[in-house]
Amino acid sequence: MTVRFAFDVAAGLAILFACVMVVHRHPVKSVLALVVSFFALAVTFVLLSAPLIAAIQVIVYAGAILVLFLFVLMLLNVPAEVRQTPGRPIHHTLSAGAIVAFAAALLAAFRSYGATAAPPAPAASDPADLAPLAKLLFSDHLLSFEALSILLLAALVGAFALARREGGP
Amino acid sequence: MTPNGIPLSDVLLASGALFSIGLAGALLRRNAISIFLALELMMNAANLAILGYASALHSLEGQIVVFFVIAIAAAEAAVGLAIFVALFRHTETIDVNKINLLKW
Amino acid sequence: MSGADLGIAALRVLAPVLAILIVLPMLQWVERRGAGLIQDRPGPNRVGPFGLLQPLADVVKFFMKEDLIPSNADRFLYVLAPGLAAFAAMTTFAVIPYGATLTAGGRVIPLVGADISIGILYLFALTSLSVYGIVLAGWSSNNKFSLIGGIRSSAQIISYELAMTTAAAGVVLSGGSFKLTDVVLQQGGSWLALPFHGWNVLPQFVGFVVFFVSAFAETNRLPFDLPEAEAELVAGYHTEYSAMKFAMFYMAEYINVVVASALTVTLYFGGWGLPGFHPTGIAGVLLSVVIFAVKVSILVWIFMWVRWTLPRFRYDQLMRIGWKALLPLALVNLFWVAALVLWKVL
Repeated sequence: MTVRFAFDVAAGLAILFACVMVVHRHPVKSVLALVVSFFALAVTFVLLSAPLIAAIQVIVYAGAILVLFLFVLMLLNVPAEVRQTPGRPIHHTLSAGAIVAFAAALLAAFRSYGATAAPPAPAASDPADLAPLAKLLFSDHLLSFEALSILLLAALVGAFALARREGGP
Repeated sequence: MTPNGIPLSDVLLASGALFSIGLAGALLRRNAISIFLALELMMNAANLAILGYASALHSLEGQIVVFFVIAIAAAEAAVGLAIFVALFRHTETIDVNKINLLKW
Repeated sequence: MSGADLGIAALRVLAPVLAILIVLPMLQWVERRGAGLIQDRPGPNRVGPFGLLQPLADVVKFFMKEDLIPSNADRFLYVLAPGLAAFAAMTTFAVIPYGATLTAGGRVIPLVGADISIGILYLFALTSLSVYGIVLAGWSSNNKFSLIGGIRSSAQIISYELAMTTAAAGVVLSGGSFKLTDVVLQQGGSWLALPFHGWNVLPQFVGFVVFFVSAFAETNRLPFDLPEAEAELVAGYHTEYSAMKFAMFYMAEYINVVVASALTVTLYFGGWGLPGFHPTGIAGVLLSVVIFAVKVSILVWIFMWVRWTLPRFRYDQLMRIGWKALLPLALVNLFWVAALVLWKVL
């Protein structure tokens, strides 16, 4: 079992559960399908030699952001979407057509991409070693890192201000 | 070709497929939160593409970019969901077809 | 990989899981007799000598009880939730080193399930996933009390996860590696020379306190077990569960306690090592496994001791402690460790 086969299986699972997410009418089940999809994506990240990003994907994306989605869905008690009577068929046809055309163009362009591109000389470091990544993050990208922390603070304050009830905390 | 023997076209195909599925979800769902979920899927498809290139070109910068994208997506999800909660309190619905007035 | 290599790898992963599953009934017996001891009453003493067969009786009871699913419950999620909780609990043991590295027959066998480079982060990823088991159990039961209990419990877990990860970040900072095998090896040196290479509990005592208290909250144990308190929300998120599904939640809770103890021992109490102990042969490695088991047992007993001693916190008190007390303390600990590393003490 090669790495490529494992990647294909994981990516296939991610795509399958993403389809389930889009098609399923109940939003809670939809979120859960997306959780599985993100987990499969984390597996693909590991196979692409990015274990730290895979861990962050599971901890932050699947484990915090989607839990937040679940909380909001449960607290707002959002019902399952009811299949509408045939209203607006032109909308559905046009958007389905646009999506299929876009997907076909994307996939046709990517199908042979990168097959002949010559990669630069490979680095000699072990991809599982996290120290070079940390060095890069805290030296070249230190400004972005600190700006990100301010962004998160702003998001925290903003979310709190938006979601609280009028007339006190 | 990434160091692990995964051809770049495989990664990009997967990324493109996920992006198209996310686009379909964003266009075809009526629930505001489901549209937002499809948006998150699109962002992850972009992350996968960036990581594929980072792996194929032996660069760590791609992983740093994805790190920032994930953190920014977290901030965006928090604020977006707070907006939906505030909206729901006023209009009692999150069906985007029904929220069509600029001022109520 | 040859067959023998595959067999050894499988054994490395399965050994601690099987050990925990076998010890689980004993843990339950210890808890109930220990509760009796602390509360000045006998505890179970009818089934077998000293009540030793009580867990067996409980297992039989779980098998015989009626397994019901509430009428409007979401069947798939209702059945999935306890499985998810048990799965997340059992897979966390994959990265904790339970013994020294064995060098035998030309092979180097580290006694850990998988020595991945993101060791500690894997554990936190699984904690994030265990939230799903609880919140799904609460929601799919179609019961207001379950839903409130599930949401409270998952909010509690997410809040204390912050303090726990920040305290663990102190250990990662002093060791310079996420791998738990490295963390244990770095605590096996001298206690008297500078830089200090002994058990992390000494230089990072505040971090240890934050981590241990957060572990109580993460495993939903008293004094942080309001979401499943018997007198408050019926039984919180597992109100509607009976028989084997309830047994799986119960099992998942005990396994979480053992994993939290094992993690605390690995991060702060030197894992399988003692100061100045560098085992090489098989006897040494077995001794290291025994040392690890003893340390974990002591911490598990402390978990049980606290449960029957302290009253529980109210929910708002619980959240206030997590955010306003433990998280700032963990940050202070992080600055303290950074200062120590800068002054070359650690």
